[in-house]
Amino acid sequence: MDYVVQTNGLTKKVKDKVLVSNVNLHIKKGEIYGFLGQNGAGKTTIMKMLTGLIHPSSGEIALFGERLTENKKSGLKRVGSIIEYPLFYEHLTARENLQLHCEYLGFYDQKAITQALDMVHLKGIEGKKVKDFSLGMKQRLGIGRAIITKPELIVLDEPTNGLDPIGIKDMRDLIRMLNKEYGMTFLLSSHILGEMEQVVDRIGVIRDGQLVNEVTLADIRKQQTEYIEIVTSNVEKSVYLLEYELRISNMKIVEDNRIRIYDLTLSPSEISKALILHQIDIEEIQKHTSTLEDYFYQIIHGGEQHV
Amino acid sequence: MFKLMELEWRKLKQKMVMGEIIIYAGILMFMPIFFIKMVSADFGQSYATIIQLILAIQMGWVLFGASLINQVVIDEYKNKTFSLSFGYPISRKKLIIAKVLFISLVVFLCTLVSFLLSGIVTYLLDHLFYIINGQPTVADITSFASKMIIHSFFITLISFIPLFFFGIWKRATIPTVICAMFLMQFQNFSSLLNINLNSDLVNAGLCLLGAVSVFLSIKMVDRVGDV
Repeated sequence: MDYVVQTNGLTKKVKDKVLVSNVNLHIKKGEIYGFLGQNGAGKTTIMKMLTGLIHPSSGEIALFGERLTENKKSGLKRVGSIIEYPLFYEHLTARENLQLHCEYLGFYDQKAITQALDMVHLKGIEGKKVKDFSLGMKQRLGIGRAIITKPELIVLDEPTNGLDPIGIKDMRDLIRMLNKEYGMTFLLSSHILGEMEQVVDRIGVIRDGQLVNEVTLADIRKQQTEYIEIVTSNVEKSVYLLEYELRISNMKIVEDNRIRIYDLTLSPSEISKALILHQIDIEEIQKHTSTLEDYFYQIIHGGEQHV
Repeated sequence: MFKLMELEWRKLKQKMVMGEIIIYAGILMFMPIFFIKMVSADFGQSYATIIQLILAIQMGWVLFGASLINQVVIDEYKNKTFSLSFGYPISRKKLIIAKVLFISLVVFLCTLVSFLLSGIVTYLLDHLFYIINGQPTVADITSFASKMIIHSFFITLISFIPLFFFGIWKRATIPTVICAMFLMQFQNFSSLLNINLNSDLVNAGLCLLGAVSVFLSIKMVDRVGDV
């Protein structure tokens, strides 16, 4: 398999605090991979290590099959990134910032600068100093800088921060276009699932510094399930009845008063009839389809998944 | 490496740096005559004494060195723009060496030119207003020329003393400036306290400290350099 990014036991500790623990990540060439996790889960720390901003405490990183170390950073020449928020030399103009970036990478192509500014809709204001840019404009310029050299891997940490709805859509379209037309691989992060869902091929769920699951969106969609949810004050009696009278085995108590039944051989009306006959109060009974959000909510919060 | 040094220059607020250089050079070149006229006429006894005065005055460039450390190193940490450089395929050691060489070159050249300007301005003003006793001898001119080069080198090294501790490690602007002010006045403080120190030994000691600071900055930048 052709992996653009591979990590082995990647760990970052600061003093005694473990920020990232034993992450084994595999990002395939040409895919759009998304990190999903709560704020502080460790997404940015992993991205910082992958882009050489901080050193891992232990473990290895390989970019394009070559190990990344402080003395061997050649892989970074093929990487564009924005980590946390886009940083610039604010007293310089947009074009001057992009020129500096290109020169640090030994990339000399004035047309590419103009093309990148055009792609992020900043053409015409490249002579303006970055200190006069809004956050959204800086974000666009940051993306422009990340793509200017047409790198093979682009790492974008929360790329839609500071963008308006149109900007967010433009960003999605740009990522899809670069992925499709130039075959660029993307690593994105977000804590907003809806945003991820629309653009990524595969998701890595980060929880407490660990990569707890890697799954393609296609697989998740296949796993989407239906269930009947009952809200009752008498959970114990209900479970007994469902299990021994109605012969339902695949179910789960999700809260003190909530039962989910994944075995759909009986309809909600048949179940409610049986419960009422046994004088069990039903506050609510409803058929649900589990959403992608439910799936990730359970993984992120450490819940089990019944499928 | 020259390319990296050039990029350091391009990242700076160039007009501000040029303005600083002009102000420093402008003030320092009139200082010798100002001292003779306003502080003590003893400085004008001979060209040999005025050369000693010029050497002491040019220590002012240590403060300019601190200003460059602030702009080239500390501001990059504070504004987090250093993280941009760390993301390039260039080792941190090489990045910091480029910064050190850039500061060295600028401080050295500015000090050298400032020495020259001070010498010329002092001579011309003396020529017009007869301030210094006697005329410069060939020995005076030779001594001035050699000291101009050697002391420019000393001043460059001394200006790096705050680099490691206050620049790379603590990333503190004001302590860097205070340290530089102390260093440029060090010899004056010791004479005020009636401590007789051999100025060559003091300069050698300070240069050694500057060299150690540069060494530690390059050596430790990987360990203390996270942004």
